[in-house]
Amino acid sequence: MTTPIADLPAGLAAADLASAAVHLLVDEELYPLPAIYGAAYVFIDRCYVFLDRPEGARVRVSLAAKSGAADEAALRALVGEFANELLSCAFRHQITQDNRVLIETATMQALAGAMGQPSLDDLAKFDFSDQGFDDPLGIAMSWEEKHGKKAPKAESEGAP
Amino acid sequence: MTELRFDRQLYSGEAVDQAVKAFAGFAAFELEQTDAHWVVRVTPRDPKLARRLLGELGNHALGLTVQRGGAK
Repeated sequence: MTTPIADLPAGLAAADLASAAVHLLVDEELYPLPAIYGAAYVFIDRCYVFLDRPEGARVRVSLAAKSGAADEAALRALVGEFANELLSCAFRHQITQDNRVLIETATMQALAGAMGQPSLDDLAKFDFSDQGFDDPLGIAMSWEEKHGKKAPKAESEGAP
Repeated sequence: MTELRFDRQLYSGEAVDQAVKAFAGFAAFELEQTDAHWVVRVTPRDPKLARRLLGELGNHALGLTVQRGGAK
């Protein structure tokens, strides 16, 4: 039989003293699933954690004391600590999402730098053929091609 | 016999299977899947350890699911 926990909304948290367990209903719109996983993972060494989804966008987290015995104060403390961890995980998840592009760019640059510079053989084997090359300003032309003397035009012999 | 119902949107099927294999020496297991759940029926060899066995099985399945990056 579950009973509400003091200072916590009755619909969100309930304690089951007989089984030394507490149940917490978490709204997935406020706390994304990766954050719930993260907080649950932190607690699996302290208690038995079980996740369930009684409603569409809500996850019920059940925490049961491993010892099999816990009073109301201990269960209340467990819920409070889990809620704090959940908030921390949700915030870290948000920071990761916000900085994902930056993290991926920095990682890619680090990996590219670790690969070292290409050798002369690598450069010689580089295949340019599949890349479209547009040079409207003639930047890739040699100086001779661009500014060198033009070949004289053949003059007609019968000219005066 | 006790029945555990792991939500398929929350637990990876491979993780549940792996957890059941890890605890195969301590209980008899029956596995079934429904549209929404991975159903595991557990009959512990030592009834005194039933609570601990069920709890550790759930923790193991959850831990493996998290390590796999979720249910997917």
